[in-house]
Amino acid sequence: MGQQIKSALLQSTHRVLEVLVNFLPGVLALLLAMILFTLIGWGLSALAYRILIAMRFDDRLAERATSDAPAGIADWSPARSPALLVSRAILWLCILIGLALGVSAFDASYSAQSQMSSFLLPYLTHIAGAVLLFIGGTLLARFLARSVLIGAVNAQLHYARFLSLGVKWLVLVLTAAMVLEHLHVGGTVVGVAFGILFGGIVLTLSLAIGLGSRDLVTRSIEKTMERPNAANATQVVPPSTADDTGQSRLRHF
Amino acid sequence: MSSLPIADATQDASHTPATMLVCLPSLPTESLLANLDKLSKVFGEEDLLIATPDTLPENMQRPGMELIAMSSERIASGWVLAAADYASAAAVAAQRNAQTVLLLGGDLYGLPTNALRSLVDGVRGQQMDLVLPRFALRPGSGLVNSALLYPLTRALFGANIRFPLPADAALSARMIQRLAAQRGARPGQSASLLWPVTEAAIAGYSVREVDAGEAEPPLPQQADFSELFQSITGSLFADLESKATFWQRARTRPPIAAEPALPLSNNAALSAEAMTEVQSMIDTFQLAYANLQEIWSLVLPPQSRLALKKLSLQPAASFHVEPQLWARVVYDFALAYRLRNLNRGHLLGAMMPLYLAWAASHLLTADNDAARAERHIAETAACFELERSYLVSRWRWPDRFNP
Repeated sequence: MGQQIKSALLQSTHRVLEVLVNFLPGVLALLLAMILFTLIGWGLSALAYRILIAMRFDDRLAERATSDAPAGIADWSPARSPALLVSRAILWLCILIGLALGVSAFDASYSAQSQMSSFLLPYLTHIAGAVLLFIGGTLLARFLARSVLIGAVNAQLHYARFLSLGVKWLVLVLTAAMVLEHLHVGGTVVGVAFGILFGGIVLTLSLAIGLGSRDLVTRSIEKTMERPNAANATQVVPPSTADDTGQSRLRHF
Repeated sequence: MSSLPIADATQDASHTPATMLVCLPSLPTESLLANLDKLSKVFGEEDLLIATPDTLPENMQRPGMELIAMSSERIASGWVLAAADYASAAAVAAQRNAQTVLLLGGDLYGLPTNALRSLVDGVRGQQMDLVLPRFALRPGSGLVNSALLYPLTRALFGANIRFPLPADAALSARMIQRLAAQRGARPGQSASLLWPVTEAAIAGYSVREVDAGEAEPPLPQQADFSELFQSITGSLFADLESKATFWQRARTRPPIAAEPALPLSNNAALSAEAMTEVQSMIDTFQLAYANLQEIWSLVLPPQSRLALKKLSLQPAASFHVEPQLWARVVYDFALAYRLRNLNRGHLLGAMMPLYLAWAASHLLTADNDAARAERHIAETAACFELERSYLVSRWRWPDRFNP
């Protein structure tokens, strides 16, 4: 009995060690490729940056931007330097090449041994996609939340922050559901939970806006009933306040 | 009513050099005829080239006037002159060798006849390159101009022109060609604004303004104030950005010492309706203070935010935005526009409640008195001049002042 247990333990330890021995070279190859190409990228980007600065690349582009287009590439560059943008693009390109090579080496060292490669590599791409989705969703949530907040404040809505938070969480919940779906985590539970959460937030927002803006909506409907051609009027009314006699009191422009 | 096709300026090769070109916007026939009568009255029998995108009814020609067609690209904004307006006028002026161009953006009935004459005389008689009308506005009018356009233009470009974004202007041949060249730098943006006063400043051209009396400048037709505010302010900030090398180095006139601050009025002259509007603007500012802290903290340094906090606690009766604070806030937003600290639409949207706070403060300070309003505007513009070094420092070393 003892011998059998000992033998089983030894065999399993041997198998795990064998897996590790097969696994480690692949990981090392991945890391080595990444480090090597990052270093190459650094070198190339620094070289490219120096060459572009020597060529007065930023100044030349700025001159072209003033004569050809109102907003040039400088507007989208870090520190408004297209040379820096190019050098960073080179760095990240090298890192990506290193990653692709490393994954390929990892795949080559592993493919004959087990099914892990066929499972791990597609999953890695799913993870990359999920990370991109998460980043995009977070940025979109922040952008929309700010847009709604500023718009609501300028419209004098006292629940501006609440509205902005609602929009932000709507987008974040949607993003989270998409990320989990992309990673095949949770199955249908995620979909159902998302539906409940999303519906709940929408219902809450609708109730809040509906109840909070009841007077506003009533006044708006009353105005529309009184003035059938209100749509035309809004197109020509200037952004100033006019009293009942039509005499303008306040003119911003 | 049948129409008389107007001679096309591009096809007329046998023309004589014209002395003056008047460019009209697209107008209804009645307004067009009324404007021609007015021009005829102002300039008498003088030879005039009238360029219009419209066609004129038969037998409506006026003595001494030659009507020519101009590009229909002219924007019928009826409010301020846009890039396409300058470009169209420049094309006709170059073809007909006009030395003086009177560019009219809207209906003429608002401008007094002597102002029209003075505009043209400024270019022809006094050899000016750009002459603009100056309106004597009521205290609650032209607030964006008083808060932003005039003080910034005066402080950074040394041009004491009260209305730097004109609806009507008289220009010399070289000025109109320069503005048309600027428009050429922005292809496909016919409706984009140009800032003739700043262009004249960097070109070293002469600019002056003439009294247009109490005529009201035309109103924009766009109803959405927020959109309009963002487009005007964004255009102004973009113009400052593109001319930064000039105003950072320019030796503008030394800042005028600010006059003693106006004592707070008791607001007795403000009507109940005006007070309601003022209160509404203050409410918007206070709401913004409660909600936009996160966004303002990306733009404004701690001192300004502290001053805004104190301001948000002030009741309407004593609500007053210090001109120095307003000048620094505007400069901080101009810098953030350049640095893209956050989305530009968000930035300008977040600036609007601050502008409303200034507008409320201005109305309370002016107390419905035109003289007090003008003095407050002059005080604000003087503070913009005094704080110019603050902008230059922040523009050059933004990280040193990073909030």
